Amino acid sequence: MKYDVCIIGSGAGGAPIAYELSNAGFHVVVLEKGNHYREEDFSKDELAVSRRDMFTPLLKEEQHIINERNKDGSITRYEGSEYDWSFWNGSMVGGSSNLMSGFFHRMKPNDFRLKSVYGEIKGANVVDWPISYEDLEPYYAKVEKIIGVSGVVTKHKFAEPRSSLEFPYPALEVNGVTKWFDASCKILGFESIHTPRAILSQGALGRSGCSYSNFCGSYGCATGAKGSASAALLQKCKAKIVPEAFVYKLQSDATKIISAHYYDKDLKSHAIEARIFVVAAQAIESSRLLLNSKNKYFPNGIANNNGQVGKNLIFSAGGVGEGRFHFDSLTKTQQEELMQPGLFLNRSLQDWYEYKDADKSYKGGTIDFLFEHANIISRAKREFYDANGNIMWGTALQKKIHKTLTTSRVLTFEVFNDWLPTDYCNVSVDKKLQDKYGVPVGVINLYGHPHDLKVGSFLAEKAKKVLENMGAKEISASISASPPPNLVAGGCRFANDARNSVLDVNCKAHELDNLYVTDASFMPTGGSVPYTWTIYANSFRVADHIVKKL
Amino acid sequence: MSGGKLFGAVSPLQTIELVQQDLFPSTSNVPTTNDINAYAYLVTILHHSRVSDSHKAFIRNGVQWLNEESIKMYKKTYMQLLSQERQNVLKNIAKYRWGENWIDTILTYIFEAMLGDPIYGGNKNQAGWKWLHHKGGNPRPTKALV
Repeated sequence: MKYDVCIIGSGAGGAPIAYELSNAGFHVVVLEKGNHYREEDFSKDELAVSRRDMFTPLLKEEQHIINERNKDGSITRYEGSEYDWSFWNGSMVGGSSNLMSGFFHRMKPNDFRLKSVYGEIKGANVVDWPISYEDLEPYYAKVEKIIGVSGVVTKHKFAEPRSSLEFPYPALEVNGVTKWFDASCKILGFESIHTPRAILSQGALGRSGCSYSNFCGSYGCATGAKGSASAALLQKCKAKIVPEAFVYKLQSDATKIISAHYYDKDLKSHAIEARIFVVAAQAIESSRLLLNSKNKYFPNGIANNNGQVGKNLIFSAGGVGEGRFHFDSLTKTQQEELMQPGLFLNRSLQDWYEYKDADKSYKGGTIDFLFEHANIISRAKREFYDANGNIMWGTALQKKIHKTLTTSRVLTFEVFNDWLPTDYCNVSVDKKLQDKYGVPVGVINLYGHPHDLKVGSFLAEKAKKVLENMGAKEISASISASPPPNLVAGGCRFANDARNSVLDVNCKAHELDNLYVTDASFMPTGGSVPYTWTIYANSFRVADHIVKKL
Repeated sequence: MSGGKLFGAVSPLQTIELVQQDLFPSTSNVPTTNDINAYAYLVTILHHSRVSDSHKAFIRNGVQWLNEESIKMYKKTYMQLLSQERQNVLKNIAKYRWGENWIDTILTYIFEAMLGDPIYGGNKNQAGWKWLHHKGGNPRPTKALV
């Protein structure tokens, strides 16, 4: 059978195509490397999910090579399995959207014209997007309705224009500490923003509302309230899903993809023919697939005759920070508010999405505030060391853990700012090391531009002021060039000029008539927000284009 | 259990069981390593499908290195030592990078046994969660991942 559309990857980049095209009456098949879990398969098993990483491949079977660029320009090579360094996220139907926390922010209009507005930065390949915020706005709005975004629209100086007044779904319930946060922001003159979430607060869209399980991020959602690609899209359409199907090669002629070849769980090879192929295997793996699909028409990999595949890989720059609230400085009522389980804090700051330093305007970013993850084992583990960094044990450790975990709670923050694209951060494939399928593994060449750290540190200092005003102790922040594996984009830029990009404005490969890439690979810059909402929105945009084309 | 066994007649796992008790002693109102099946849990880890072979080897090798330190300090294996002597050996190995990592590892699996879902066999009647006033998330797992 020849399908109309074959999609490789079932996450936020692939699922909107499957949803729109199959609901428009086309025959769609989705090839997903991971297992097919449904709501009833998801539990809050910390050992399985967070300690044994059940949703990601074993590194001894599938890994990456990580080449870290040192200050002197030399490269240190790490084999992921040897250093336990994983860049896998959710290998499962619905991808890592199953495991997201669902902090949903739109990119701002200036994010689409970073070079025009803020100018060039030495050593960075900053460009404007070939589309504007206005082009994507209708699709951000569509995501709100179909994926399900809940919240309260907050007016603030960097609020992006909206085509609707409010979010379509009411906000989630918040913890009592949220009012402490709002009060401190008021004192400091900061604008506290109600964080939009891709989580339904009440039953809607054929899905249940949030159960406030206290275990959201990193865990699959058992109620379907979280707007994963699986719950919100793949379960609501007739696209055929083939799980445990690892696509290792695309076969093409000079102008079009002919077939996608995959191994099933028994390592048997299969081929799928289709009129259109959509690659959405997560940024690193999408580039890897194209680079590994060499033939006489594309000797350097599919769609890579201009040598652009894998270039300009980006992550979300920034980092994390925290402060701890102790019972001894709180009233009984405040203690009870602090320890309320399940309810969200749901507050963000974007006061410095753009900021001035020495009369020059800089692009800043977003700060999301949230409670420390409820995982009890990891919270106990962080108490293993004393103030001098020496490991503890015995009754002293027991007392420390009991006191810390029962009479205090940590409020954390996450800083999101642009990871500037550079010549040194990209994806290639290794010449020797292969995975369990016998396919060359992906190589992640890492480099963080120093400007990223400057902006991240600026934002972290603002976040620390809020925690300080709220009365938190042990306030700290960690801003580094360490890449968050779950916030990765780029590698197949879209642009009008085929000489320095892989995809055209519709995310179709310049060099082929029927190949699209719709995960975060297309993004030339990442904005200063988590990517998922933008990935969903762009994929809905491309789906409209493909429907018209078919 | 304070020693008396001949070196060679003692399995590495028996030594680890004693180390678990030394690192996490029986204390009033705190679940004991026996309560939480810490030893059985560690055996599960040593056969776990998702724990790397090199990590399993590190756990086992650590016993040998512990005994080497014990013999160096007291001319006896760890299991032959008195309680305070064993604490001294632990303090000494904690100065080495491997020793600190090994103690961290053994402690980690004690806490995994005690604070993981009860379906794994430790944390009976949610004793570990109750000790730390923790409420486990729902839904709970119906099958252990081993």
